[in-house]
Amino acid sequence: MARTRVWQAQARPWRAYWRDHGRVLRDTLGYLSGRFVTTLWVWLTIGVALAVPAAIYLLEANLVRAAGQWRENTGFSVYFEAGVELEGPQALVRRLEAMDGIERVWLTTPDAALAEFRELSGVSDALELLDNNPLPASVRATVTSAVSPAGLAILAEQAAGTDGVEDVVVERSWLERLGALREIVIRLYWSLTAILGLGAVLISGATVRLAIEARLGEVKVLTLVGAGRGYVRRPFLYLGAAYGLGGAVIAAMAISALLLFLEEPLVRLFGSYGRDLEITGFDPIFHAMLLASGGALGVVGAVVASSQRLNRLNVA
Amino acid sequence: MGIEFQHVVKRFENGTEALSDVSVTIPPGSLTFLTGHSGAGKSTFLNLVLRADRPTRGKVLVNGVDIAGLKRRHLPVYRRHLGAVFQDGQLLDGRSIFHNVALPLHVAGMRARDVGRRVRAALESVDLLRKAELLPGQLSAGERQRVVIARAVVNRPKILLADEPTGNLDPTLSRSIMALFRRFHDVGVTVVVASHDTELVGTMGSRVVELDHGRVVSQGRANGDG
Ligand SMILES: Nc1ncnc2c1ncn2[C@@H]1O[C@H](COP(=O)(O)OP(=O)(O)O)[C@@H](O)[C@H]1O
Ligand SMILES: [Mg+2]
Repeated sequence: MARTRVWQAQARPWRAYWRDHGRVLRDTLGYLSGRFVTTLWVWLTIGVALAVPAAIYLLEANLVRAAGQWRENTGFSVYFEAGVELEGPQALVRRLEAMDGIERVWLTTPDAALAEFRELSGVSDALELLDNNPLPASVRATVTSAVSPAGLAILAEQAAGTDGVEDVVVERSWLERLGALREIVIRLYWSLTAILGLGAVLISGATVRLAIEARLGEVKVLTLVGAGRGYVRRPFLYLGAAYGLGGAVIAAMAISALLLFLEEPLVRLFGSYGRDLEITGFDPIFHAMLLASGGALGVVGAVVASSQRLNRLNVA
Repeated sequence: MGIEFQHVVKRFENGTEALSDVSVTIPPGSLTFLTGHSGAGKSTFLNLVLRADRPTRGKVLVNGVDIAGLKRRHLPVYRRHLGAVFQDGQLLDGRSIFHNVALPLHVAGMRARDVGRRVRAALESVDLLRKAELLPGQLSAGERQRVVIARAVVNRPKILLADEPTGNLDPTLSRSIMALFRRFHDVGVTVVVASHDTELVGTMGSRVVELDHGRVVSQGRANGDG
């Protein structure tokens, strides 16, 4: 026992450890630039694998924002029978204003409705001929973003119970569709992330494996002279990280190009709702996450490939 | 440190029995030649000492300790107590002679200042100090083998193992390489040299262990001192 301890006594000092990282970093950059076509190829492949889920992530984030924006218009309109006194609609306005979940309430009197109709249609002359205003009073309410489609239906039903109400129109079908669309996008995002993430791991792993194969002699020598697994494996993990990070940079560039390409229709989409184009989520955090995931996937690939290979080589 | 094999059997997965009930004692500080025809089990023997492989049965004791019990994380440190010279070079082509010899010290995390001193001493001992800055490709086969020996001893190992170190060298160079091993033995290192060249081994006058088909056929002293 006492004698085994001799073999355990010498640990590598920390300073040597960091010096080693510096050396490995230089070696890795040299290795990558020495095989630039291969490197670029791997970067592009991993870049594509990362860009697709990243783009879907952005789509989802902006869908949520769009939902938030358009939600301001979500609510219902209560149309009264023509000729109803204004007390009824006014009472409804007060009742609605007191309810939870209601954001704003507008009363449109028959006169206001007529004025608006005139302005919009331009057929004022025809209406002048009528004795009575044929348009009903209406109350329009919007709900807060906390109200679900089901909650919206309940509120509309309560409003419909008022005397003299002819019809209640709930503006929600698009909201439900948007919810469903979002669900599809989220599921698409996760499944593609899983598939393409695995793809990125495999690409990095396969390329790192080739690098190990190419440096097998060196690995054997290092093992022979007492290198531990960490030391032998370090250059390959750096290589995996470099492949993943490069892929992430390519993915970020691809998404920038995509956004540029989509700018015009996006302006129209958001512009039609009176907003300036502003993509949610394409920010430094997004880029940091993209780099971190790329690097992590690359390293995972390298760990898998090198563990497998080094186990078979009996590297301690 | 001495080496002891106790009833060691090594059977590979394909059924080949490379060593069959081998019991050998190699005393500390001795110079021992391992001979036998190609396929006799010499490399297998050395790989067991390096713990690059494990015996199927029996024990391999190094410095009195059964190395089968070494944990994987202790192996690198264990191997830093051994020096190994293997047949075909295995020098890193892209690195200078200096760097190649320094490798075991880098791996062990030694400070750059000490590395320089040790590497120069090791290169001096094989008479190659003036070629330190060259690349392996710029040396002759004999010189390259001496670099490998320098790398094996730079860590000042207690045990030096060599597998066919004269494999592709002419007789004169072979003798000079063997003389080098004797020099390390002279300063107290336990040296084990595997060689199928019985003629060359016979001239060395040291302990000889002869293997044949995985069995020890003779174990003792050849003519001369030791
Ligand atoms: N990894 C291995 N798997 C299977 N058989 C092996 C392996 N290594 C060596 N052998 C066999 O074991 C026997 C001894 O080999 P080796 O120790 O290399 O002999 P030597 O070094 O004396 O020439 C040979 O028959 C060889 O074919
Ligand atoms: Mg052999």
